[in-house]
Amino acid sequence: MSDTADSQPGRPGGPDSGGPHSGGPDSGGMLRLGKRAFPPGQPLIMAIVNRTPDSFFQPGTTWTESAALDRVDQAIAEGADIIDVGGIPAAPGVEVDAAEEIRRIAGFIGAVRTRYPDIVISADTWRHETGRAACKAGADLLNDSWGGFDERLAEVAAEMGAGLVCAHVGSQRPRTRPFRVAYPDLMADVLEQTLRQANRALAAGVPADRIVLDPAHDFGKNTWHSLEVTRRLAELTATGWPVLVSLSNKDFVGESLDLPPEQRLAGTLAATAVSAWHGARIFRVHQVLESRQVVDMVATIRGDRPPARTVRGLA
Amino acid sequence: MLTAAALCPAAPLLARELTGADPVVPELRQACRDAADALVHTDPEVIVVVGAGERTRTWDAARARLDLSRYAPGLGAGPTAVETPPLPLGLGCRLLDEAGYHGRRELQEVGANEPAAVCAALGASLAERAVRVALLVMADGSARRGVKAPGYLDERSAGFDSEVGRAVRDGDLPALLALDAALARALMATGRPAWQVLAGATDGARPTSVIRYDDDPFGVAYLVASLTVG
Repeated sequence: MSDTADSQPGRPGGPDSGGPHSGGPDSGGMLRLGKRAFPPGQPLIMAIVNRTPDSFFQPGTTWTESAALDRVDQAIAEGADIIDVGGIPAAPGVEVDAAEEIRRIAGFIGAVRTRYPDIVISADTWRHETGRAACKAGADLLNDSWGGFDERLAEVAAEMGAGLVCAHVGSQRPRTRPFRVAYPDLMADVLEQTLRQANRALAAGVPADRIVLDPAHDFGKNTWHSLEVTRRLAELTATGWPVLVSLSNKDFVGESLDLPPEQRLAGTLAATAVSAWHGARIFRVHQVLESRQVVDMVATIRGDRPPARTVRGLA
Repeated sequence: MLTAAALCPAAPLLARELTGADPVVPELRQACRDAADALVHTDPEVIVVVGAGERTRTWDAARARLDLSRYAPGLGAGPTAVETPPLPLGLGCRLLDEAGYHGRRELQEVGANEPAAVCAALGASLAERAVRVALLVMADGSARRGVKAPGYLDERSAGFDSEVGRAVRDGDLPALLALDAALARALMATGRPAWQVLAGATDGARPTSVIRYDDDPFGVAYLVASLTVG
């Protein structure tokens, strides 16, 4: 079946789903990451591999290189399209400078690249020095969760031929928690900030088909904000830029359901399904197998992906 | 007079796009394509597609299109301004299209409840349409061939379908006129009227046949065959 993303009836979107916003490319075209090209309607699973001892979810489980490589093997076996390697937790804590961050991720990215020549690798960093080292080691995408805090990161992406994630964090600085954050118009702020970064990346020379927007749930947001960007994600996908969502086991899920990180899978998958329905294309996750099934199921409901095998009632 | 015929099932899953990513029954589709190709290569003046439906009537071949939207809403129904014949005729049209057939084409729906004599008479009249008439008969056997079959198991299915298979294989088409309509209905063998149209079209001639497929992968009897007369 050919992709029919532009002609599906019954697409989600109420009065707020809005028309196209300025700055986007022609309606949701091909996304290129590394050697790979992904059409609209093909959801991508980005597996989180933390090279940290202290991230919030299952801290330290992939701190050693062998454990991290095992995690990569498992993630790819379970259907991951992208391996996202990070060396610094989002939350405040022990200082990790650029040299230490590079030490944590660059060599490992090289090892993953050697092991999987064609897999897409992303580096979760906001620093341009780390970004350059990661790209030299084999990274294809710079996943900047901190909203372009280091303006030179876009230049590095352009120089190295990498993609760039443009995230909304409000006025938050890296590794800080939101404190009484407020937005007169949250979605307008999300659109304005992500599109401004996308245009800056374009100006820096990053090709349009390698730029991704991320509303950045929980970054510079309370739970209400994260719920709102989930509910109104169609306004971001309507820009035509590919949208990444990072929902996995986050506090907005935990606060919604009053559950600790290790019990947030079902809530994460619910948010994943809603985001997929609204047209998100990349899903940054801890649990690959379950997320893969959810996004594939939603893509099938949307009509973007054929069922694997249908005979019921058709014989 | 009838010079050739092809028998194919009329299952929705013959439409490749209905089975999702998995082709499910590629060998069945290939057998149908082969049967359609062979039919087209008999150089007919007209090919009449025959299939069962609500009532006996003809369809305008120039306007009729296969419409899968009733089976898979959202798969892209195509233009809605054209006529939508029953699925057996739509699938038959697609087979002829895929075989590259651009010659004269007629579409004959035969009512599911028509008695054998009416079916036979209809077949005889179709055979009169030209000197060289070919039929593409879209028909299925019992849908009750196992506990997982659409209609669950009916032990009578085996005997019913094997008799159809034998009649086709042996060129003994008059035997098809003896099929019990009530039993066929009970067995969900929707092809009964179409087979009897074929029997009526042969006018007692004994065709030679090639069986291309004879199986029931989903509990429904699928038979693909090519028949030539004279």
